[in-house]
Amino acid sequence: HDGADTNAGTNNYNEFDINKILIDEEPDVPKRDPNAPYSLGPRISDWDEQRSRWLQENPNYPNFIGPNKPRVLLVTGSSPKPCENPVGDHYLLKSIKNKIDYCRLHGIEIFYNMALLDAEMAGFWAKLPLIRKLLLSHPEVEFLWWMDSDAMFTDMAFEVPWERYKDSNFVMHGWNEMVYDQKNWIGLNTGSFLLRNGQWALDILDAWAPMGPKGKIREEAGKVLTRELKNRPVFEADDQSAMVYLLATQREKWGDKVYLENSYYLHGYWGILVDRYEEMIENYHPGLGDHRWPLVTHFVGCKPCGKFGDYSVERCLKQMDRAFNFGDNQILQIYGFTHKSLASRRVKRVRNETNNPLEVKDELGLLHPAFKAVKVSSS
Amino acid sequence: MGQDNFAPQKRSSTGGGGGLPTIRNEAGAGGRNRGFPSMPRGRQMHKTFNNIKITILCGFVTILVLRGTIGVGNLGSSEAEAINQNLIEETNRILAEIRSDSDPTDPDESPETELNPNVTYTLGPKITDWDQQRKVWLSKNPEFPNFVNGKARILLVTGSPPNPCDNAIGDHYLLKAIKNKIDYCRLHGIEIVYNMAHLDKELAGYWAKLPLIRRLMLSHPELEWIWWMDSDAFFTDMVFEIPLYKYEKYNLVIHGYPDLLFEQKSWIALNTGSFLFRNCQWSLDLLDAWAPMGPKGPIREEAGRILTANLKGRPAFEADDQSALIYLLLSQKDQWMDKVFIENQYYLHGYWAGLVDRYEEMMEKYHPGLGDERWPFVTHFVGCKPCGSYGDYSVERCLRSMQRAFNFADNQVLKLYGFRHRGLLGPNIKRIRNETATPLEIVDLDIRRSVHGKTESKS
Repeated sequence: HDGADTNAGTNNYNEFDINKILIDEEPDVPKRDPNAPYSLGPRISDWDEQRSRWLQENPNYPNFIGPNKPRVLLVTGSSPKPCENPVGDHYLLKSIKNKIDYCRLHGIEIFYNMALLDAEMAGFWAKLPLIRKLLLSHPEVEFLWWMDSDAMFTDMAFEVPWERYKDSNFVMHGWNEMVYDQKNWIGLNTGSFLLRNGQWALDILDAWAPMGPKGKIREEAGKVLTRELKNRPVFEADDQSAMVYLLATQREKWGDKVYLENSYYLHGYWGILVDRYEEMIENYHPGLGDHRWPLVTHFVGCKPCGKFGDYSVERCLKQMDRAFNFGDNQILQIYGFTHKSLASRRVKRVRNETNNPLEVKDELGLLHPAFKAVKVSSS
Repeated sequence: MGQDNFAPQKRSSTGGGGGLPTIRNEAGAGGRNRGFPSMPRGRQMHKTFNNIKITILCGFVTILVLRGTIGVGNLGSSEAEAINQNLIEETNRILAEIRSDSDPTDPDESPETELNPNVTYTLGPKITDWDQQRKVWLSKNPEFPNFVNGKARILLVTGSPPNPCDNAIGDHYLLKAIKNKIDYCRLHGIEIVYNMAHLDKELAGYWAKLPLIRRLMLSHPELEWIWWMDSDAFFTDMVFEIPLYKYEKYNLVIHGYPDLLFEQKSWIALNTGSFLFRNCQWSLDLLDAWAPMGPKGPIREEAGRILTANLKGRPAFEADDQSALIYLLLSQKDQWMDKVFIENQYYLHGYWAGLVDRYEEMMEKYHPGLGDERWPFVTHFVGCKPCGSYGDYSVERCLRSMQRAFNFADNQVLKLYGFRHRGLLGPNIKRIRNETATPLEIVDLDIRRSVHGKTESKS
């Protein structure tokens, strides 16, 4: 094959503007009539029956992969264009590696989305059409777990208590009083949540979507939300505020199937967690999932992919490194290694190689965890 | 591990990969070099020279980034400009720090001792009864079988360095590449390990995969196959499945050409960017036989000279894992070759340059599932090195091609959901199938069936 390419262009990546390349070669599709009411798709009212029938006809794709273990699809994603911040993509890469590790240990599949399914529902709203599409395309999925790209797993051993949610369809981190009584815009967090596949999910997505279409609708809706919710700043409607508003104003309709979880950090605000990692390592252990060892550390406001976040760049990036290493240590220890410190990319050995590798004690039980065991067949 | 794993197909340019890329491979380069009492002068000068190169590079990058960011016509107030400026400067400072190899814990670290060339390097204590150990373990742990739903358990292993790439584009394509692998593996029930740790300082760079593979084999007896794949390789046939039945009597499956190997002794006769190792004693033995040319420093350099002298077409540079494997299999042919399957019926590794321009033709004439030159299983961007600063090819050509490969593959996934990209370069998608109230009529989770069995609306 060829040696160095002699035709046009530099061989130096630092001199090249990638945006020259990322051009759509085909014309855009005609826009929807903005006066027509927005909808996520044709109304479906018998999804439970459709799904149930499909599951019966497809016994090879059960919605439960273990006695108390539903089939879960973790959904996350990022833009198909490079980040504006030059290290943003590096942090997205670390973040997805972190999720790959947790999900591998817990038997969860991942869908990494880089496509904007509906131009009107861009930004934080993009997850709605995506979630609907995935629920309808994957009847075998019992729970869809949405997780923001700026959220990382920091407890690799913690298994979500699925049994607790057997009567719920929507699990978010939050507090009942803050949502229903105070209507506080951060009473819950939509950066990491569980949604059960079913008619109820389709219905709540339909009820959630109307504040999303960008432009006038989203702007106006933003004003309503700022007025109605406690402490909400002025900006266009976001999916989280819209959900607080929806639940607070239609509690009777949805509330009984919504579980606002706060006994562990399904979403953990990074600001109150990252400085305590060393203390956690000293006093506690993985598997707790709560303030002692958070399941998820979520870097809300950092926006490493964009140019400007709400916090100092230095603090955000350094803390993201620490959170990554904190989680990564739990993986590395399976193989006998650990990071030299929470700030360091380097690893060191903490367990020597032996010629009896199978006798190694797996302290956290992550090497062959119970939640990954397959059903023992009779053959 | 996982350092510079995406350039094992060796650089065809001369001189050990030109200046800077080699610096990325050296964990110590650019860091503080305290406490090297017995370092030879020549090496000291070499290290100083490398340090200067890094400093210049970082400065250059900073200037470029500044140029790029400040260049935008910002007609705001001078105050806004000042804030903007501060933010840019702060970001760049952080970037430079993050990108540099300096490690906050370096000052306290004991000095690294160089490997004594008289002591043979080993990957670990010799194990001779792995097949037996594994068999016993499997029988005691029936809930972790090596076959699941009739399929052998495979682990796909890939990775990249723990530092950000020399430029942002590199990380962006690493991200796209892992998304691509996540998609393929989800569709085919394969687990992924993405490594970002240097498990063994001696075997850095492309060699890093050896200790990693060994470690994973020994920790996971339930794995039947370990599939190493470079970070610059993309799946481009989402339907094709590896025909494991062909390999029942083999322990290593690797893409290559027997005549290039045995007759020509070519240094590119095989490709170690995508290969499968069975989890067994034979593989441990091969890894042990493969490793000795790897330890960095004089061993790797001397080995490089041997390889260049013995393999056809190989430029002069330090030993790389691919050349070393070729040399090993040639010189110990009788010991190993009966268990090595040299595969070229499909593109377990597909060299990108001959493939990417034909994607449109493929879409017109063929369909996924073929895996060969009509619809390549894997398109591998050897020589592009987007994570470094310089590649062996024009940047524009590489990036354009990588984006096309990504979209070509992504279209096969999006199709399941009723979408496709608007061209092979662009980020945006369009609908090719309307939403319906009865979505399950189209859903077929076995992608092998869904491609052939269903009629799709044409765009």
